[in-house]
Amino acid sequence: MDLDDGRPAAAFFFAGLGVLLLLAGSYWGLFVAPAETYMGDVQRIMYVHVPTAWNTMLAFTFAFGCALAFLFLGGWKWDSRMEAAMEVGVVLAVLVCMQGAIWAKPTWGVWWDWDPRLTTTAVLVFAFAGILALRHFVDDPVRRATWSAVATIVAFVDVPIVYYSVRWWNSLHQMQSTPETVSSAFHWPLRINAFAILFLMIAAISLRSRIAALRLRTELAPPPPAPAPQTGTAAAEATR
Amino acid sequence: MSELSAALRKEALLQWRTRAQLAAVFVFGASALLLFSFAIGPDSAALRRHSAGFLWLGLLLASTLTLAESFQSEMEQRALEAQLLMPVRPAALFYGKAISNWAQLSLLGFALVPVMVVLYDAGTDRLGALLGVILLGTAGLSAPGTLYAAMTSQARARQTLLPLLLFPLVVPVLLAATRASSLLITGDPMGQVRSWALLLACFDAIYWSLCGLLFGRVVED
Amino acid sequence: MSPTGVIEGGWEFVRAAYGVSAAVLLGYGVTLVLRFRSARARAERARKESS
Repeated sequence: MDLDDGRPAAAFFFAGLGVLLLLAGSYWGLFVAPAETYMGDVQRIMYVHVPTAWNTMLAFTFAFGCALAFLFLGGWKWDSRMEAAMEVGVVLAVLVCMQGAIWAKPTWGVWWDWDPRLTTTAVLVFAFAGILALRHFVDDPVRRATWSAVATIVAFVDVPIVYYSVRWWNSLHQMQSTPETVSSAFHWPLRINAFAILFLMIAAISLRSRIAALRLRTELAPPPPAPAPQTGTAAAEATR
Repeated sequence: MSELSAALRKEALLQWRTRAQLAAVFVFGASALLLFSFAIGPDSAALRRHSAGFLWLGLLLASTLTLAESFQSEMEQRALEAQLLMPVRPAALFYGKAISNWAQLSLLGFALVPVMVVLYDAGTDRLGALLGVILLGTAGLSAPGTLYAAMTSQARARQTLLPLLLFPLVVPVLLAATRASSLLITGDPMGQVRSWALLLACFDAIYWSLCGLLFGRVVED
Repeated sequence: MSPTGVIEGGWEFVRAAYGVSAAVLLGYGVTLVLRFRSARARAERARKESS
């Protein structure tokens, strides 16, 4: 296993950098950038919502890559990274749904308007949470890794299918078009926050995969040697 | 090909021996449809409008029972390992099982149509097309369902895991099959049924090939 | 919404969105650090027992 026992310095470095960038980008988006023409200040939610959404898809795509790598290249590190990317992806996806609902209420008047991207994200939360549950209920590490890799591939292939079917399903009911997320004047806070959340995500996946690897090491380790036979009075009594 | 027909013959024999279970699952599905109408209330117009949705929800719930059962005999006396020791490709085992599950679910779907017609006043003049949609939709349920059933039958908490894994995956099937069936029941002025059926067919093609490819990794030791 | 179609105010929603984001990111980060520490401690103990 190529996990060094040192402190996860890189993870904390990325986390620190991410926090700084997030503060900077959010400050810019909240207080410096002008309000949008039609949506007013509510538009500012986009500066944190869009970067989170981008990174969610990135996390799940990375999980998919790790699943392929595990199945075709082998190596426990891919299993640990896949588990980490899935969990981080689920956390980010739940956040995306919450942000989306908070944005939808003042904009559309309802908490949920079946927007295809948001609905697909919600389906992904359940799909990958289910795979994490599968991992929880399988004790054999090899089976756990193989099955969850298979399930990840199956789930990821479904993403575009879910998206297009929801988009089509929704288009027959709603005539409102999804608004332009951000016009060109507002790129900078978006980009800064995108990198911020990217760095936070890298830190989280790095740390989480170490946790998974540490657990694996305990599971795969040979059992402790049997204790040496007692030579004390108890044994002497028994043989008398 | 002979491997597949051997697998199919085994499945047919298994199905015949456990045909009482199919009757029980039908009763489950029919009672689910009944419960849905209690949930909505005696509003005939609303019931008719949502009848397709109820049919497919009922089928989806019933599928968790039949799919979980489908690997039961393989789990007894380690029959699955014995089958894998034979010079049979795992894919043949998968397709035999998946086709058997597909046949079972389709029969269930066909049997629930008259229940739907009676409870929700949801008849259709395009019965052939409705049966075709049922075939396409149940195919979409049975391929991934068979793959997941193979996994969860060997895991703990199997009753919960199978629907937990399957339901998010088959959202497109539920959407497309419900929309297509609903249009067939309430009328399809813009001729959209064909497009939804095409979506179902694409899903089926992708997942019948993908799951067959991956099955070997799931059952290997 | 005002007659011109512009959404006015809405700062409480903006605050809610950013607050929720900060809470989730921070909270998850804290759980990660705690879980990492306990996993490392457990692995150390297991290593000592088997050596």
